[in-house]
This record gives sequence, structure tokens and C-alpha cells, in this order.
Amino acid sequence: MNVAVRSSGLRAAKPAATEGGMELLLWILVWSELLVFGALLGAFLILSALDPAARAILHGALDLPLAAVATTVLLGSGFFAARAASGHRPRWNLVAAALGGFAFCALKLTAFGHELPVLGEMEGHLPELYWLITGFHLAHVLFVAVLLLVVAWRPAPQRTAAVATVWHLVDLVWLLILPVIYLG
Amino acid sequence: MQLSRDVPFSAILVILLLATGLSLLAATSLPPGLRGVAIAALSVTKAALVVLGFMRLHRESRALAGALIGYAALICTLAGLRIALAA
Repeated sequence: MNVAVRSSGLRAAKPAATEGGMELLLWILVWSELLVFGALLGAFLILSALDPAARAILHGALDLPLAAVATTVLLGSGFFAARAASGHRPRWNLVAAALGGFAFCALKLTAFGHELPVLGEMEGHLPELYWLITGFHLAHVLFVAVLLLVVAWRPAPQRTAAVATVWHLVDLVWLLILPVIYLG
Repeated sequence: MQLSRDVPFSAILVILLLATGLSLLAATSLPPGLRGVAIAALSVTKAALVVLGFMRLHRESRALAGALIGYAALICTLAGLRIALAA
């Protein structure tokens, strides 16, 4: 992280300081998101260890192949976001990343449609936590995909780097959701 | 670290997809103990690849990159333990 003010002049120092402040805010956002998802995933791990029967029913209802395809799509969109952040045709790569995000949302909604009949009949907190974690993540994907499109309109390097960082956070959270919920 | 010395994004993506495929294979075919270890190790690898390969955070801050990978490792280890002890 580079928060140093490089210029000695006050007029030149102000944008650099603002830039550093924005970067700090970005990392505060990233870590607060990670802590929230970490708490939810921790609760899921504890509940699934305490109630193996509920975990088995939940696991049986999950669509693992669809989750694998969704993971592939999300990682692919992360690839495009990384290319955009490194300066390779930022506009088109940001749009491609956003399209990957929308495809992920469509796949996840399809999976929810398959899972709803079984999970809707389950009692207890485990299915509620499942909906909360995956739904919250889905909302993040949708929101940041829209942000990617907004930044793609005028892709300044600083904005592109910031939105790509948030997109990688969304990737990272999904990679943590996968072993905790789907692969267990 | 220079850009030319970094692993290309396409190679990172291929390794990420391979690791995902291996995770799914482990989830469906390994016994619980090995499954837990394999899934935890592959998941940490994927998280580290996103942080170091896509975000390239190690160029800006080694501490921040280490903290993100450490955090992911903690969650993945707990997930692996839960899987391994679920037999």
C-alpha cells in the first residue's frame, strides 16, 4: 500500500493524500467484509459440526456441479478484472468481468431453485445460515458487477484498480465459502 | 518484483481451475481424513493464487498479502478439520 505524499507542494499533495485516504478506506471495506463473512462461515462450521444430520440433508440438496461451474465463471471473471487492473484494454476487460458476475448470479439463482424445495422444509439455523451466506455473497457479486460496468464507462487507472480489488475480494470470499459449505 | 518476472494471468487462471477440479475430485472420492487435508490445502492454494497472482498485492504490501492469505488459511484449516473429523 502506498500512502506516501510524494509532492512537496500543497496543491500537489492534496490529491495524493486523498488517494491514500481512499486506498485506506478501500482496505477497511475489504477487511470488514472478510470479517463479516468469516464470522458467518465460523458459525456455519460450528452448527454443521453440532448437527451432522442437518448437514447431511443440506449437503444432499446442494448442486455441486452447478457450484463448480459458478466457481469457474467467477474465477474467469477475476482473470478479466486482473487484466483490466494491469492496463490491458481496461474497458473491455471490465465489461467481460461484469458479464462473468452476471452469469454467476444466474447460475446461483438456478441452484437456489433446485435447492429451495428441500431446504425450505428443513428446520434449524443451518439452512438459514446457508441462505444468509450465499445470498449475501450473491448480493455482493451483483452490486460489484454493476460497479464494474460503471467504472468501465470511464476506466481511470485508480478506479479500475479499486474496483478490481473489490472484485478479487468477492472471488476470495467465494473460495472460502466453497470448502466450508459445498465440499464438506 | 518486475512484471516480466510475474506468472501470466492466464497461467494463474489455469492453475486455479485445476485446483478447483482437484478439490471437487477430493470431495467426492477421498476418505474424510485425507479429504479434509486435501480440500484445506487446495483452498488455501487458490486463495493465495488470487491474492498473489491476480491482486499482485505482494508488490504493494507483503504484510497485507500475508494477512489476507493467513486469514484464508485459518478458515480453510477449520473447514478441513471439520471435514476430517466428520467421519
